[in-house]
This record gives sequence, C-alpha cells and structure tokens, in this order.
Amino acid sequence: MKLFKTLLFAVLIGLAPGAFAKTIEMDVNGLVCAFCAQGIEKTLKGFPATEHVFVSLEHRIVAVELKDGQDIDDAALKKAITDAGYTLVKIRRTDESLAAIRARVSKEKAQPKADPAKHRHDMKDMKDMPGMGAHE
Amino acid sequence: MLRAAVLVSLTRWAAVVLLGLLPFAAAAKPIAFAKGKTLMVEWGAGTMVEAQMFYAPRYWYSVGGGWLELDSDDGLKRRDITYLRANLLAKRWNLPDAQANVFAWGGLGRATGNDFEGPELSRNIGFQADYETRRVYSSFRADLHESDRFSHRIDTLQLGWAPYAHDYDQLATWVVVQGRRYTGGISKGTETALLVRFFKGGTWVEVGATTDGKLQAMAMFNF
Repeated sequence: MKLFKTLLFAVLIGLAPGAFAKTIEMDVNGLVCAFCAQGIEKTLKGFPATEHVFVSLEHRIVAVELKDGQDIDDAALKKAITDAGYTLVKIRRTDESLAAIRARVSKEKAQPKADPAKHRHDMKDMKDMPGMGAHE
Repeated sequence: MLRAAVLVSLTRWAAVVLLGLLPFAAAAKPIAFAKGKTLMVEWGAGTMVEAQMFYAPRYWYSVGGGWLELDSDDGLKRRDITYLRANLLAKRWNLPDAQANVFAWGGLGRATGNDFEGPELSRNIGFQADYETRRVYSSFRADLHESDRFSHRIDTLQLGWAPYAHDYDQLATWVVVQGRRYTGGISKGTETALLVRFFKGGTWVEVGATTDGKLQAMAMFNF
C-alpha cells in the first residue's frame, strides 16, 4: 500500500507540469504601431512567469511563453494589456511553443491573406484542440 | 525646361532630406505607456524648436515639461518658453485594424521675449486627435502658448502613408505631408512640409523639408 501511494505521488508530481499551458496567446485590438505597442512587451516581460513575448501586429496577437509549471492569471493579463493602452479581446492557453506560433504566423504572412470567414472557422477549430481554451 | 525645373526641385528636396538625416531627429504622442518615459525633440523649419520629456504613471496620463523657442519670420519676435505640463488621454478607440486617440494637455510656464520686459507667467493648453492603421496615419494638433503679453497657437496637420505594413520587429517607414500654421505674428500662411518617418523599437525619427527648402525634423524616444 505504501509503495502504491509513493508511486501515485510520483506519477502526480510527474504530471503536474503538464497541467499548465506552455503559451498564452491573446487577441488584442488597437495593435497598429510597433513604436506604440512596446509597453505590452515591457509589461509582460515583467511577470516572473514569462519566458518570452511575441507580438504580431499583422495577426493582432500577443503571445507569452511561460516558464515551466508557471502561469499568469487572466486578470493580470487583462490589466497588463489595458495598462499598455490596448484592448484584450480573447485569451487562449496552448501547448504550442512560441517558436511554433512564430512559424505559423510567418507561414500565414507568406501566404495570400486568408478569407476572414475561413479564419474564424480555424479559430473555432483551435478551441476544440487539446490544451486550447478560450474565453472572452 | 519644365522637366529641368522639376529635376532641380527634386534634387534640392532629396539633398535637404539627406541633410536632415544627419543631426536632427521629434514628436507624436505625449504618452507612451504605463511607467514609460517619452523624450521628444523637434526642429520646426527655423520657426520653432521644442524639446519635451514626459513620464506616464498610467497609460492615460503623463506629466513632465518642455522648452519651446519661437522665432518669427521677420526676425522681430522671439519667445523662449519653459513649461511644466500634464497630458491626458481623453479617449482611445482600439479597433481590430486601427487606433484613434484624443489627447488634451495643460500647463504653466515661464516665458521671455525680445519685445517685452522680464519673464512672464505663460499658460499652455492644447489637444491632439489622431487616427492610424498600419498603412494610413492622420493627426491634428493645436497647441496654444499665451501670457499677458503674447498669444501663439501652433496648428499642425499630418497625413501619412506607409508603403508597406510593418510588423512589430520591423523598421516602419512612413511618408508624411505636414501643414502647419502659427498665430500671433510668428509666421504668415501655411507652412507645408514633406517628411519621411522611420521607427523601430523605441526610436522614432522624422526628417524632411518645407516647400521653401527649410529643414523640418523630429525625434522621439520611448523607454
């Protein structure tokens, strides 16, 4: 019984980091000028849980790669974006790495602009993927 | 004949723009972001020179000060105004592909001039409205400096176009047409300038020339 409890404990500890998303991706309105959007990067980099920050004006997204096992709560994210002078539209937590998001964005940039209706469909599909959660 | 005249005019413009790239660099929004500092310097075609520094405790207001020198076209009037000022972001619209702002400011300062005795208490009040996407930019700014001995308002309209939509980590390039009017006997008519604006990271540089070949330049730093 003692051995079983020890194993169970070890398994739970081992799984714990997996309970945290790797990256937080946010849709932000008002992102049109890199010079003016620096405040977002500066504020988000100030969180102890932040590993890296990625901003794409073209896709209107701000992504934060988290340190292992750490997270930033939604209220803090909303405050960070608002304090930088922008409007947070949506937060998604994903297991996708920042490099993967960067690559996806670059790939989309290289391709002809997607139909907005199709894009919305893609976003809906993303919410259904494992590890992806969305909320307004 | 006409072609030669156009060529000479273009060459003169290019020379002035390149010359402007050397030592000068100016101003746009008086508030950067929460806990951000903004330093702005402007050389206004020999008519005005202004330097400003602001700190924004919150994204919707900043405090700081500046120095403004005005020299009239006829060389008869000169003003040196040092002021403390508070800026307020009165309204911001964050749209999916655009942003629009209305700023207002007010302050007090100390002014000297060559046509009145001693320093005077001066008052400063103004506003700016702007709208921008990643390809189009427009702003209108009215800035009034007055005392019991003078009243000067500087109205500036800027219309900008970006040849490409920049992204966060790229150099942004804009072509801007600027119209400016001064009141209070500083300059007659509208001063029109063509500017090239570049920014990347926290550095913004804008240089160009007025239609009569005078240098117009600005630099702004956010940190």
